[in-house]
Amino acid sequence: MNRRSEASRFWLVLLGCLILALACIYISLTNGTFDLSVRDIVKTLLRIDPQWDHDLVVFDFRLPRIVIAALVGCGLGVAGAVLQGITRNGLADPGILGIHAAAGSAVVLFMFLTQGTVKGTGIWSFLSMPMFGWLGGFAAVWLLYMFARHHGSLDPGRLILVGIALGSGFGALTMYISLKMNPQDFEMATVWLSGSIYGANWEQVLGILPWLLVLIPVIWRKAAVLDIMQLHESSVVGLGVRVNTQRQWLLICCVGIISACVSVSGSIGFVGLIAPHIARRLVGLHYRYLVPVCGGIGMVMVLLGDFLGRIVFAPAELPVGIVISVIGVPYFVMLLYRAKRAKA
Amino acid sequence: MRSFKWKTWTFSGLALALMVVTVIISVLHGTKPIRYETAWEALVHFDEGNVDHQIIRTSRIPRAIGALLIGGLLAASGALMQGMTRNPLASPSIMGISDGSVFAITLCMAFLPGASNMAMVGYSLAGSALGGVLVFGISRLLPGGSSPVMMAVLGTVMGTFLGGLSQALASYYQVSQNISFWYNARLHGISPDMIQLAIPFAAAGLILALFMARPMTALSLGEEIAAELGMNVKLIKSLTMLSVVIMTGISVAIAGKIAFVGLILPHITRFLVGPDYRRIVPLSALLGALFLGWCDLISRFLNPPFEVPIGVVTALFGVPYFLYLIKTRGGGRSE
Repeated sequence: MNRRSEASRFWLVLLGCLILALACIYISLTNGTFDLSVRDIVKTLLRIDPQWDHDLVVFDFRLPRIVIAALVGCGLGVAGAVLQGITRNGLADPGILGIHAAAGSAVVLFMFLTQGTVKGTGIWSFLSMPMFGWLGGFAAVWLLYMFARHHGSLDPGRLILVGIALGSGFGALTMYISLKMNPQDFEMATVWLSGSIYGANWEQVLGILPWLLVLIPVIWRKAAVLDIMQLHESSVVGLGVRVNTQRQWLLICCVGIISACVSVSGSIGFVGLIAPHIARRLVGLHYRYLVPVCGGIGMVMVLLGDFLGRIVFAPAELPVGIVISVIGVPYFVMLLYRAKRAKA
Repeated sequence: MRSFKWKTWTFSGLALALMVVTVIISVLHGTKPIRYETAWEALVHFDEGNVDHQIIRTSRIPRAIGALLIGGLLAASGALMQGMTRNPLASPSIMGISDGSVFAITLCMAFLPGASNMAMVGYSLAGSALGGVLVFGISRLLPGGSSPVMMAVLGTVMGTFLGGLSQALASYYQVSQNISFWYNARLHGISPDMIQLAIPFAAAGLILALFMARPMTALSLGEEIAAELGMNVKLIKSLTMLSVVIMTGISVAIAGKIAFVGLILPHITRFLVGPDYRRIVPLSALLGALFLGWCDLISRFLNPPFEVPIGVVTALFGVPYFLYLIKTRGGGRSE
């Protein structure tokens, strides 16, 4: 009975996320410097009586951006849930752990090595950027493991500290590389690094989509393992789970998702940190439910953040990453305050 | 105990001697090498028409002195911070102080566009105080908030928050470029009047720090012990905080954000001269000055003819050392 009510709650929440996401998509499509009516949008999408200016606005500017926002948000939300699950630490977040910074460094390095050709952008460069990011993300995770391991198990406190150290180290590396670039690439790299998606295009969608389509279902299938991992390490081993192997698999998938997201949108922090907290309040602790809900919440967060960044200070645009951190930090501090008080 | 005293004097002497060497190298080398005799002439018989003399007087010497000054200030405030919070990983750069300064400078550029350099430094100090108070205040509010991990997370998170707000304001008022110029053209664009401006603040901060060093030794053993020894813990903490804000604030105002100096130098000093803060504070200031002086030199030689930002150089040494500290000190627990 309890199980049934949990399941129905899950579907309800997921439906809620979907409706919110659709609402965000609707307002992002219609509002902006060039206002379109709903009828115009429907007409353009269904190719009834197409007009070239509407086509341009919808297909070349707004739609790719919205799709990227949705995909990145979804990916980061799921990745955050997995990281918090693996490390058993509610403060774990790809940004705080330095994975964003590492993937960012790797991508900047890639831009630097292929200097000049980046502007021309063959489809290959969009497909290979996530690969490079992946390598960088891995370097970070490997270092995290090296330094945060204590008597064979991951110490949550150390993990965070090592992550902060790695973040600033990779940040410095990125700065060093980006200063060696030529001015055009440098400009592109800084805009991209601050977590913005204004330059979104369909090639980027193509670059990120396969990663998410493959990895998120894989993670979802492992939800049961993630549930068990919340127990104490020795009990997990006792239950017959090969913790280390499973953890490594999950990490590989998770870093893959993060790197794909970073390679298109730069570092958008706090989505991976906050989405799981909200999701846990809504649907409880089971990862079977948490993973998709986190994806949904992340999607709504990034869509909304991007919309606000575009509208609030128009005609100037704010990168999504900044909007989310300005809104997210106070919420996060409040969460910490509540959680600690409840415990005390 | 005696041996520590001897060591303190020896190391201080050594540091001072090396500092002189650093200044000489720093003045003579750079994009344009300058001969020893010319440098000496620039000091003794200054000739306004001579380009080399101008370079020495308005660029090389202020820069060398600036690097030493800032290194000293940052290391001393790091030492105080670590003593006060009993947190081996506390450092001024992750406590919101520099992000507070960015926030204040942004506000100032957006709303008071004609402010003088002096006023900007003042606002930057006020912003640093705001950032520090914010992080400390929140860590006090949260139960368990003053553990090393929580402090680090709060510092990072509040830093992102203030940074985000400033970036939002900057892009709305379209002053981003001025702000990045204000922060990035710092150490190598340091001018003699900036140094003059900084010296009274630096002196005030350092003197306060030296006065605080004595009670700090007791405080580093624990607040209860300090209170039992008849100390006014609250007063000591507030004065220490004040000194940290002045010292870090002024260095952020004149040189931008330079991480890791305040984190690693106090550890090295403690390793050299033992746990007494009366020795740690002054000696970390000396060693910090030396360290940043060298980092500044390295930043000129790493990628000639361009200069590497000094933050990159300090991170080059700082990150491995930080990781080593976490590995050996256990990170999560303060004891």
